[in-house]
Amino acid sequence: MSESWFKREILTPRRLAFNVLFYGSHLALFAYGWYSQETNTKLSALNGLKFSVWTSRGAGLVLAYDGGLILVPMLRNIVRIVRPKLSWLLPADENIWFHRQVAYSMAFWAMVHTTAHYVNFINVERTQVRKEIALHIHYQEAGGITGHTMLLLMVLMYTTAHHKIRQQCFEAFWYTHHLAFFFMIALYTHATGCFVRDSTNPDYISTFPFYSTQHCLGYESWRFIIWPGILYFGERIWREIRARRTTELSKVLVHPSGAMELRIVKPSFKYKSGQWLFIQVPDVSRFQWHPFTITSAPEDPYVSVHIRQVGDFTQALGERLGAGPSVVASLTKAAMKAEEKVDDAAPAFDRGNFVEIDANATTRPMPLVRIDGPYGAPAEDVFKSEVAVLVGAGIGITPFASILKHIWYMQRKGNLGSLRRVEFFWICRDAPSFGWFQSLLQEVEAAQTNPDFLRINIYLTQKISEDMMWNIAVNDTGAPYDPLTLLRTRTMYGRPNWKSIYTGIRSAIETGRYLPGREASLRTKVGTYFCGPSALAKVVREHALAASTSSIDFTFAKEHF
Amino acid sequence: MGEFIWHHWARVVSIFASVYLVWAGMWGIAYRKFFWDFVGGHLDTVNAPPIGGFHPGPNSAPFLEIIVKVPLIQILSILFGLFTLLLEYPAPFMKQTSLYRSFVARAVLLVLQSFVAVFFYQGTNAAIYGTIAAFAYGRAAMRGEMMEEAKENRGKASAA
Repeated sequence: MSESWFKREILTPRRLAFNVLFYGSHLALFAYGWYSQETNTKLSALNGLKFSVWTSRGAGLVLAYDGGLILVPMLRNIVRIVRPKLSWLLPADENIWFHRQVAYSMAFWAMVHTTAHYVNFINVERTQVRKEIALHIHYQEAGGITGHTMLLLMVLMYTTAHHKIRQQCFEAFWYTHHLAFFFMIALYTHATGCFVRDSTNPDYISTFPFYSTQHCLGYESWRFIIWPGILYFGERIWREIRARRTTELSKVLVHPSGAMELRIVKPSFKYKSGQWLFIQVPDVSRFQWHPFTITSAPEDPYVSVHIRQVGDFTQALGERLGAGPSVVASLTKAAMKAEEKVDDAAPAFDRGNFVEIDANATTRPMPLVRIDGPYGAPAEDVFKSEVAVLVGAGIGITPFASILKHIWYMQRKGNLGSLRRVEFFWICRDAPSFGWFQSLLQEVEAAQTNPDFLRINIYLTQKISEDMMWNIAVNDTGAPYDPLTLLRTRTMYGRPNWKSIYTGIRSAIETGRYLPGREASLRTKVGTYFCGPSALAKVVREHALAASTSSIDFTFAKEHF
Repeated sequence: MGEFIWHHWARVVSIFASVYLVWAGMWGIAYRKFFWDFVGGHLDTVNAPPIGGFHPGPNSAPFLEIIVKVPLIQILSILFGLFTLLLEYPAPFMKQTSLYRSFVARAVLLVLQSFVAVFFYQGTNAAIYGTIAAFAYGRAAMRGEMMEEAKENRGKASAA
């Protein structure tokens, strides 16, 4: 670990505020739960159990709080709407991170609560404060049954959500996590057994909620925490309805790099660039939804996604569309050949070409496709900063396809917001994957009237063989286009030096070369938008933030998948 | 997406079960109770304890000896739990053992651990989770999954 725990959790003001609020509210609720049990004279019989019952009541209240919080970050549509309005307050893009924090907290307090109850029930049996045995409370009363069920469901959900398993087999995580439905039901009904009461026997009644609140003196927390559950359930139904609206797969293009581009027409689907969607192809899998970044701009008449055939879903999808691995392999081979033959005088534009799968030529019609979304991503904010630094690594380039296209459309309309300059970085391991994106970059590059507005920096990090090096050297000198990308911009080899890049931008702004006419008294915002592996993100973030001065704000935002 | 790798999942469940068991075992020493004492036991609701209250049946007597009188089962459970944790985490010296590479051995270990855990009051959930982990290791063995070779097994470069 390069940075210490202390620096990360305590010295970062935003994180410190979160820690104080999050853990503070937990401890406060625990204290309140403890205190109100201990001082409640109606419950003096139960208070004979002393510390264990005070602990269990306190922890129970905290668990109710966590149970209410855990679904909040998963309200994807609400998060999408709320996010832009609250971005100054909470990093709403960190919703999965927050979900995990609540889950960890829940596991801890579940341990406290369960341990305390094991002590409670054994003491109930020993003192006979209630005329029953411990196992009766454990396995024959609502509280015990739902509690043990929730523990088992937690074991299943937490273990399959472990990053190793989730990344290895997403389906196992995805399906198991739907046990949350039963978990939430158990949570809301956990107190219906009326364990906390001042009467000898549970005071059940025949009307909802089937126990009398006169004698059952629980915290009634389900009245508060059920709302996120209802909202979530409603949202899932709404997503299902929305996904069923008319959607048509209009075109499938296969790019030589192996990526399939699906162009989908769905008039009811409105989105912004940089967002992503879930896609479902019932022919391939009836229930699975897979996330993909939208690569078209909102101005385009269609929604497009670029899919590489890497997993079993995407490969099955390729087969179904008549663009299976064999087709792609032959295309890729052709592309590699074309690349080796760049020295043939014929302009190598053929490499950038794609093949359209003709729906009439294949015997099977285009499959039914459903899309759900869009869901937010920080890249929407690009137009709010003066200088946008877009960094994509590998396939992480996809959201920027949409953003660059969108910038291009906005440029034509002459409406760029406060955006003055765009620095675009693409870090890529191998040359063939330049393929599909290159045609887009070409278009954007060609459309630039102001040579300073968009700067494209492409880094190739692959080890280059000697042959290839000479090939590049021969074709590069004096040619108007870069031999690999066919852009006017030259490809750079090796990894970018982020420190010099950011200090370079800073000094260029300060000397006034970079943004002519910039008001020195106003703060300039340089926003970095990153998409790619988290190890690289950390490095870029560090250097970006380190470059901040009193008049220039460097910000950093990362996309999550 | 990829295939579900059973022994990856089994490892996480096994760690979960063992941590639970060690914790439960410690509380089991403080609050001793034979889980199955209700079999043949009898609850006297008329009189107050110690005359009234719950009395285990005579068939529970041998278990009461090793759970209530001497917390043997609880201590054994803690040792089982700790050993499984050392094996699963894994501790550096465990990586070289053949036990570390065997799923069947782990399944057997977890079944034994769960069998011990199921006797005392606090340990039953750990027994359920341990059984789930044992089952998952059994699946892993049946499907012919292999443990990733520990790097230490290949010997140091200097020793070669």
